[in-house]
Amino acid sequence: MAARVLQQCVRSFARPSLRLCTRNVAVRATATPAVFIHRPLSFAAESPRTRLFGQSRISVGVFCRQYGDLPPLTLETIKERVMYVLKLYDKINPEKLQTSSHFMKDLGLDSLDQVEIIMAMEDEFGFEIPDAEAEKLMTPEEIVQYIADKKDVYE
Amino acid sequence: MATTFPLCADASSLNPDRDKYRFYACLLRARFDENKNEKDMVKATLMLKAGEEEFWTNQHPQPYIFPDSPGGTSYERYECYKVPDWVLDYWHPSEKTMYPDYFSKREQWKKLRMQSWDREVAQLEAETLPGGPRTEALPPARKEGDLPPLWWQDVTRPRERPT
Repeated sequence: MAARVLQQCVRSFARPSLRLCTRNVAVRATATPAVFIHRPLSFAAESPRTRLFGQSRISVGVFCRQYGDLPPLTLETIKERVMYVLKLYDKINPEKLQTSSHFMKDLGLDSLDQVEIIMAMEDEFGFEIPDAEAEKLMTPEEIVQYIADKKDVYE
Repeated sequence: MATTFPLCADASSLNPDRDKYRFYACLLRARFDENKNEKDMVKATLMLKAGEEEFWTNQHPQPYIFPDSPGGTSYERYECYKVPDWVLDYWHPSEKTMYPDYFSKREQWKKLRMQSWDREVAQLEAETLPGGPRTEALPPARKEGDLPPLWWQDVTRPRERPT
């Protein structure tokens, strides 16, 4: 929440004369797949607010270089992807797998297996998980929470 | 166990296709599993050292680095858009009225932070080693009803992708 508010603040510093629009926040929060070159009047999204300077439509600009990015993550998609990767692992029985099943106690896996699973998660989501925090992730639920924490999904 | 990470990362740089990487990772794993019941610690450390040297000589010249990792393509790319939270105090009231529920509670949060700050500093001073801290990891809250040290920075941290 604070970060979304801060984003508005960045825009307010960039264009102090324009009024900001509240409904744009949801649009800007998702990663825009288009690539924009940084120009002084680059428009990232359209503003439904009218009435500024008597014109019918004014777009609020975002002074920020935009790059192509992946679709935004949600908790459900993270969970589905984690379970999918775990089901592909041959040492895990897919029927016995649940979000709360502990790797070592319920599924009977090794510490080396846990390292392999964490590496597979790193490859799936495309970012590194440091060793110190990786050795604490012992259930799929914890992995989902960790990824959601790192990627700011539903904060 | 810590050596499997770089070895598997190496295999994944050499074999970007998932199925070939899986094959070589399984071969590596089989080599580890042959010797996993070694009870003699001296022999085990010698094998570990030999494994590390083998990794060093055979490592990939351009290993794949994730975009957000140091040395990757988007490392610190969005750092300039991550605004600290004290900026919110400089907002105009008309802008603050756009988020009434947040700003109505913000003063209470700040008061809470003022109250818990002394206790956090005291805990950190008590728990830091004499030569200075060794890691960046912060200790958790030790007493009942206490907040973890430097919690404000974590709670009001900017998003990973601020735009």
